[in-house]
Amino acid sequence: MDSNRLRIIKVLRKGIFLLAAAAALAQVSSAFADDVATPIPAESNLSLRGFGTLGVARSSSDQAEFVRDLSQPKGISNHWSARNDSILGVQANWQATQSLELVGQVVSRYHYNDSRDPELMWAFAKWEPDARVSFRAGRIGADFMMLADSRLVGYSYLPVRPSADFFGPLFFSHFDGADATLTLPLANGLVRGKLFAGATHEKATGAPGIWDTSGSPVGGFVLDYLTGPWQLRASATSIRFPNDINFTQLQTGLRTAGAAAAADLLSTRNTTTWYYSLGAVYDDGPLQIQGMLNSIRHETAVFQNSHAGYLLAGYRMGEWTPYAGVSWWKSRFRDETTGLPDAAPFDELNQGFDYVMRASTSNQQTYTLGMRWDLKQDMALKMQWDAIRGKASSRFPFATSKPGWNGRTDVLSLSFDFVF
Amino acid sequence: MKTLRYLLLALLIAAPALPAGAADWVLIANPKAGIGHLSQDDVTNIYLGRYRRLASGLTAEPIDQPGDSLLKARFYRQLVDKNLAEINAYWARLVFSGKTRPPRVVASEEDAVQFVARNLDALAYVDKSMVDARVSVVFSMSE
Repeated sequence: MDSNRLRIIKVLRKGIFLLAAAAALAQVSSAFADDVATPIPAESNLSLRGFGTLGVARSSSDQAEFVRDLSQPKGISNHWSARNDSILGVQANWQATQSLELVGQVVSRYHYNDSRDPELMWAFAKWEPDARVSFRAGRIGADFMMLADSRLVGYSYLPVRPSADFFGPLFFSHFDGADATLTLPLANGLVRGKLFAGATHEKATGAPGIWDTSGSPVGGFVLDYLTGPWQLRASATSIRFPNDINFTQLQTGLRTAGAAAAADLLSTRNTTTWYYSLGAVYDDGPLQIQGMLNSIRHETAVFQNSHAGYLLAGYRMGEWTPYAGVSWWKSRFRDETTGLPDAAPFDELNQGFDYVMRASTSNQQTYTLGMRWDLKQDMALKMQWDAIRGKASSRFPFATSKPGWNGRTDVLSLSFDFVF
Repeated sequence: MKTLRYLLLALLIAAPALPAGAADWVLIANPKAGIGHLSQDDVTNIYLGRYRRLASGLTAEPIDQPGDSLLKARFYRQLVDKNLAEINAYWARLVFSGKTRPPRVVASEEDAVQFVARNLDALAYVDKSMVDARVSVVFSMSE
């Protein structure tokens, strides 16, 4: 019996059906289905897999648009939309030799340019000369979540989406570079350290327009300790932005008025941002609890420094897993001014500068309740309610906010997640 | 009504203390591999892909049964108290992160025994009754 062949036939059969259905739903070209339908030699070590989410959500407010993260230019408001949570991804793994594997992943999701253009998420070679060490080079995932590199595989986690309060500001999900991981037994557990370095090549939705962060050097470490049901983590990442956000008009105005220092504060070029996180997961049988804390420090004054956290707990009962969580995201106003007199003709410059200084304010917490139903193998349905309770000043977490925004909205989400 | 409440309470307290029942499977390895005995943590680390290095320096190659196998469901239930949906979600997390590979799947327990008999690095869970001279037992659940 050739188990590889059985497996591939099974994967193909399921894959073609799901991919065809999901491609239509997620408005992705059917070109993917043709790729998958190509017969694979049963002897090969090639595997094709995929994942997807069909998600719809709506909120109770038309004054601010809720987004998964800051790469999304439009969000969810008070009508049902499948835009923000629907995702489709395919991945090919090729085990070239016992120790060398090649991995490629393409994902279609709603992102920075208001489209679902497929993105190359991973394209790397992984070399494991020994069970203790692993090296990867190419396009690899930024390891922000505790349990996975990808934040897009809905089937793999409990809630509809990773906490927007916690992961919202982390708009980049991959970089071109390399990482090295060492795993060693230590005191009844395992210690795992990872170093990574490279350059990002992603774009974010910034006000105003798109902010190209391509070529930003990124680097850092992740340290995990796993023992029994516990996983503990500490990590640090730095990213240095080579490009400015487009505030040219305001900056020129400030310089002309003699407020060069204020104009400089609006620059992101050659500034560094640091991200630190601590986390713990307790996963014992049906009970799963996870929590993380982060702190983000910016050299540029355009973004306020912030800290965030989340706590999520779920308890499985057969095919059903109810879960509840709380998260928060708070930033600190820098209290910078232009130094220009608070009078004409400087009113417009003062207001523009103040607007930018306040645009990155986050001051909110979210209470989450949800239910996951594992209806069939490799398929889950989820229903989730997020009660966002913040201040009117909390505008950064949202795609757009109107003057009537009071910081409070309730988001109801339904999702169908699958892997194949 | 009150009696019923006490009964329920007593059941809730007693439930976790009830014996889980002896496991009917064992973990087998190639007798020439010199693996000796593995702990439950070792087996968990190998099957969940956290750490697969054996004392001999070889990288363990764990063998799984097909997705609809009842033995597979019992194995993961007794080893880590997880159902197969959770195990699938766990592997989706790692596979789509381009991390560790899930265990190799063979079609039957006999195939697993044959695979272990031919490969020094292989480990497999099979029903106790499948054990013969070709393989040696390196772990069994104690309850």
